[in-house]
Amino acid sequence: MTAVIETTGLTKTYGAVRALDGLSLSIPRGGVYGVLGPNGAGKSTLFRILLGLIRPTAGEVRVLGQQAGDPAVMRRIGSMIETPRFPPYMTARQVLAWLALAHGGKDAAIDAWLDRVGLTEAADRKVRGFSVGMLQRLGVAAALMTKPDLVILDEPTSGMDPPGIQEMRALIRSLADDDGVTIILASHQLLEVQRVCDRVAIFNRGTLAAEGKVSELTASGERLRLSATPLARIMGVLGDKGTIDGDAVLAAIPRAEGPALLRALIEQGVDIDEARWVGADLESVFMAETGPARTEAQIRESLHAG
Amino acid sequence: MLADAIRSEAYRLTRNRTVLSWSLIFVPVVMLAGTIGGAVFDSRVERMGEQLPPQLTAANGVLDVGAALVSAAGQLANPGLLAFLLIGAATIFAGDYRWETWRLITARNSRANLIMGKAGAVKLMTLIGLLLFLAAALIGAVAKGLILDQDLVFRFGGEEARTFGLLFLLAYVRVIQFLLLSLLAATLTRSLLAALFVPLVVGVAQELLVTATPLLGWSSVDWQTQLLFPGVAYETLKAAILGGVPAAVLQDGVAWRAVASLALWSFTPFALALWWFTRQDLSKE
Repeated sequence: MTAVIETTGLTKTYGAVRALDGLSLSIPRGGVYGVLGPNGAGKSTLFRILLGLIRPTAGEVRVLGQQAGDPAVMRRIGSMIETPRFPPYMTARQVLAWLALAHGGKDAAIDAWLDRVGLTEAADRKVRGFSVGMLQRLGVAAALMTKPDLVILDEPTSGMDPPGIQEMRALIRSLADDDGVTIILASHQLLEVQRVCDRVAIFNRGTLAAEGKVSELTASGERLRLSATPLARIMGVLGDKGTIDGDAVLAAIPRAEGPALLRALIEQGVDIDEARWVGADLESVFMAETGPARTEAQIRESLHAG
Repeated sequence: MLADAIRSEAYRLTRNRTVLSWSLIFVPVVMLAGTIGGAVFDSRVERMGEQLPPQLTAANGVLDVGAALVSAAGQLANPGLLAFLLIGAATIFAGDYRWETWRLITARNSRANLIMGKAGAVKLMTLIGLLLFLAAALIGAVAKGLILDQDLVFRFGGEEARTFGLLFLLAYVRVIQFLLLSLLAATLTRSLLAALFVPLVVGVAQELLVTATPLLGWSSVDWQTQLLFPGVAYETLKAAILGGVPAAVLQDGVAWRAVASLALWSFTPFALALWWFTRQDLSKE
């Protein structure tokens, strides 16, 4: 499996702040790759280095086999970092024509791209009147119109309404599946990431906290959900491997130990209504890797203290 | 490619009607209106029985359009035209900082090409601006002749064409040299206002400081004066082209000092801007 991105010991510091701290990461060619992490984890810094906007303090980075920022490589990358901005006096069509010229493209199929991101009706409107969602769509069209090998999208669905998010998800999947484009995206919408990405990397404080296929990461948190009575007797058998979840118990045991557990519970006189394996969602994996969010009580306490 | 960068910048400029109007249209239109208005006024005064000023009758009612064109070429690098062309140049040079669009185009071309593309687009805009000014001067001269019932002649032989060509080239270099200060200001400060005002402030400061050079014992033909004040260099070369008394007092080698001055003042800001831009952190625009 060839890599489109390879970093070794990548470090970027801003004064005393280490935005990236010795990051070593390999992103394979093909599919959709999610980069997750709380704010300040280093996602945007990584993207900016990959796009040659800033230089790393230390470490190495290869993009499509070449040094990051190499003009020949940059021409093979489409990108949208944060909410894109455009010259306000231009229309959407003119923006794409301008960018096509900058790239040296003559057959940029501008109308087709405007249609693909749902901006056909707004094609001749000046972008100064565009909503954030429309700017996002135009930014995606600008990133894709050069038919790049690699597309980097930072929060591509930010500011979009639910139908827009659904369309964007379908567009991203079709680019990866039908056009063979490798897509790297960062998003805080973990459910969207779980739906659209094949692999993810979870960043925390500039380091790589977890990396792998979405199915593997969520499977690692797999638990046996037991709807049974009495709960106290089940907890007695499971000990600290069990947690009560409403009127059921979640048993954190390997799949191979499932039959033995069920036999033990029956022997203990537990009445089992249902037993099924449930996977962890990406959010719980994310929270486990990046640390728990503050509880409501903690937030209230800090507000009162303030 | 550099050609792609120039094309895209030129395309973007053509979509910015406000900047086009102020940079390219305003000065020629005002000049044309002024010329025609002045001629109408003179015509009215004449009809009222007053004598016209001698300069209008010196050629026995003959107006040489060719001479008017050469004269206009000598006035191309005037402060008014410079200031309004600066609006367009500053917008081209600083627009991507203002609209945070660098990241869109740095993915499409090399940084060196992008900066050179901007400089190329400004050179193209300047060329068009100077030609529009000359066109307005030409139309104004013809209109003036018609309003004042003068006979129009067009004497534009080899000597006039040479003088016109050299004056045009000199004015073009002088304007570009001035506008490249805007490129340096834009790149260093990331500010449209700085791109607009720094060249103006530098220009005014040079005009004021040059009056103090006699206190230092420098004459206008000394190499220090020529190198520090590109406006003086421009006037030196203009005098050399036009000949006559000012050209007669020029010493040997002064013209070359003036050429070196304009070249230095053109190359240095551009080279500094290019060097800085290729190392600039563009993640925050």
